Amino acid sequence: MTYEIFKHFPVLAIMCYFVGAFIVTLAGKRRMLRNVVAGAVMLISLSLLLSLVVPVMVDGQIITYWMGNWEPVEGYAIGIAIEVDALSLFFGLLVAIAVALAGFYSFRYITQDDANGPFFTLFLMLSGGVMGIVLSGDLFNIYVMLEVMTFAAVGLTAFRSWNPNAREAAFKYLVVGSIGSTCVLLGTALVYAQCHTLNLAQISAMLPGNMNPTMVFAFAMLFTGFGCKSFMFPFQPIAADAHGAAPSSVSVLISGVFTKTGVYGIIRVSYFLFRTMGLTSMQTLLVFIGCVSMFVCVTMALNQHDFKRLLAFHSISQIGYILTALGLCSALGIAGGLYHAINHTLFKGLLFLTAGAVLYATGTTYLEKLGGLARKMPQTAALFMVGAFSISGIPPFNGFASKWMIYQATYEKAAETGSIGYALVTVVCVVTSVLTLASFIKVGQSVFFGQLPLEYENVKETPLSMRIPMWIMAALCFLTGLFPDLMVEYLLGPATAAVLDTARYIDAAMGAGYAEIVANSTAYLAEPVLVFAGTWDPVSWLLLFVIVMCAVTLVSLAGRRSRGALTLADDAKHATFFGGEEAEFSHVASGDLFWGFKHNLRGYLNFMSRAHSGITNDYVVWGVCAMAVITVYCFIFM
Amino acid sequence: MKKKNWKRDDLIVRCLADSYLPIALVLGFYVILHGNISPGGGFQGGVLAASGVLLLYLGYGFRGAATAVNMERMHKLEAVGALAYVFFAMLGIFAGYNFCRNILWNSGNIGDLWSAGTISLMNYSVGFKVLTGVGFLLLLIISLLSTGEDHEHDGTIPTTEHEEGGAAK
Repeated sequence: MTYEIFKHFPVLAIMCYFVGAFIVTLAGKRRMLRNVVAGAVMLISLSLLLSLVVPVMVDGQIITYWMGNWEPVEGYAIGIAIEVDALSLFFGLLVAIAVALAGFYSFRYITQDDANGPFFTLFLMLSGGVMGIVLSGDLFNIYVMLEVMTFAAVGLTAFRSWNPNAREAAFKYLVVGSIGSTCVLLGTALVYAQCHTLNLAQISAMLPGNMNPTMVFAFAMLFTGFGCKSFMFPFQPIAADAHGAAPSSVSVLISGVFTKTGVYGIIRVSYFLFRTMGLTSMQTLLVFIGCVSMFVCVTMALNQHDFKRLLAFHSISQIGYILTALGLCSALGIAGGLYHAINHTLFKGLLFLTAGAVLYATGTTYLEKLGGLARKMPQTAALFMVGAFSISGIPPFNGFASKWMIYQATYEKAAETGSIGYALVTVVCVVTSVLTLASFIKVGQSVFFGQLPLEYENVKETPLSMRIPMWIMAALCFLTGLFPDLMVEYLLGPATAAVLDTARYIDAAMGAGYAEIVANSTAYLAEPVLVFAGTWDPVSWLLLFVIVMCAVTLVSLAGRRSRGALTLADDAKHATFFGGEEAEFSHVASGDLFWGFKHNLRGYLNFMSRAHSGITNDYVVWGVCAMAVITVYCFIFM
Repeated sequence: MKKKNWKRDDLIVRCLADSYLPIALVLGFYVILHGNISPGGGFQGGVLAASGVLLLYLGYGFRGAATAVNMERMHKLEAVGALAYVFFAMLGIFAGYNFCRNILWNSGNIGDLWSAGTISLMNYSVGFKVLTGVGFLLLLIISLLSTGEDHEHDGTIPTTEHEEGGAAK
């Protein structure tokens, strides 16, 4: 082992967050000390993970770390392992970056709150829990960390406890999140009963090919549990409530990091543990759930009147993209999904932080009340534009690069399988992207453009300490979109290879050759073929856009013909019968902007309005129905 | 419905609380200390010992429990317990092994109280953390349960001052 020292880094990265959380508790009311400790642990953790990029991503090592040196005995893993392959490190990096930026943003952001003592304790607990999930190599450890993460997130959702909405949202979150946790626990127990081990590597060596009804049930439970954590389709109303009520920097974590653990769990369960992703039925299920989440949530987002609720629905819509891409089970699809995962964390983090900046400056995120803030907060408006362009997939920002890969992957899948369904998936993806752009036009129009209400005349730009994290995120949005080749080479390529190459993961943990001895059948998953057919080239696209712009300008100039100026009555008073009276304040409300769309979709939207009733019992019924449907589906088709 | 008038300073209840409190504490600490050689351990022992808070409440009312136990300090000590656990677990890394490694593994004979090295120390930290943590939780629940009129005679109303937004502000 050349990299002897590196093996301690993953566990230190996890423990850093927890130690920081406890020291913050001890610091009590000393704000300076608290900020220094929280900032230090976030930076230490980030740098520990960054230093792992070279050995894991470039050299392709897999770090296996046995807690207390309890190494496997006679092919049975008896200890708790931390196993970091390229996939784990990919998600770990994403978590560390988002946590650091959101944390530095919150130093200033939460000074408006009275009781900001427990904030960083919960914040760091949440971060540590997520980090524990993505770096762990043990199924039960994942469950424990999932609980730590869920309860910290519930606490943070109710952080502004003076707000009754926050308390209600936290309660819903607690109940529905517990369904997910229970599913994961039940699945873990069943797996342990069958395999007598909890080590991920050993389970993934023993399980595929040995599927019995118990294991099918365990798979359905684990899949639903992690799906609940990623707020996939029937679980999406809770996400909206929670994001709307939580402080913005917490929304960054819930949207960018918390949901990613669900995605990570689905990858680990269906690509590694059970290796069921090779089955056409499983691909269909995941792609279907992804498409439904994507479309339902984007239409819901168009109807929102609250900035943060709107972002929350978009967040699930983007998770739908990721699930769809992962469900394709092709190298390009997985790479596209992972690419979109990191892009989603960046641009949605940026958008939530701008929403937080608007809240910090004006005290509201209600779209109808806001307007014209671009004049008062020019930098925030510019940052919002970057985020909106990224999420809508406008080149040269990162959303375009990953969506391009996803479109391509779905289209190739359609060509490969010859099924019309996958072509439809491409169409759904593109339509969703267009609707995303539409709803961000609505946000931009309602918040940053239009007329400035009188009460916000004295609004000031957000403080520098809040703008710096936002600018860093914006720069990352730009950079990750501009260099897709580098991303593929250093981050996505190794991570995709790790997803497809389960045997290496097993051998790294259990000793060389273990996968071949134990694994009966690897036939479930296709051979790992890593082909990247044509990522996009930003320069030629920029050229294309310039040419198209020139052409449009030329055509519009050529078509100009003088018709004379519009002559109206001399003063506005007499023009009343032509253009109506000049209104004092005529801001187009966000609810009115897409009235035609809403009118034509009224049947569907009425149904959705009944479905999002806000009653916890209804949401629980939705969740249990999803669990039942997935279980029955798995029993029929596996 | 007529309100029940609880007499907290009932002599029988107080005498029983007095006599069971030491038993609960001793049993709790016994289970924590013998975590390495008998069933139980830090968590279970910690919960047993923390139940002493409940006995105090039954015997002496909320004020008795809150004056006997400093909530603020309990809250801080919980963090100290957790940090102690991480410290003892880290000793493994400092000694050149892995995290959580027992570095005093050959100390004592099997079956002795002191025979598990740093594992015992980690167990004690867990016991301490759970004792303080659960004790704090119980006090918090009790303080939410007790109605305002009980406090009127008591004079001071202990608040949850660990939160900055509380009465201290």
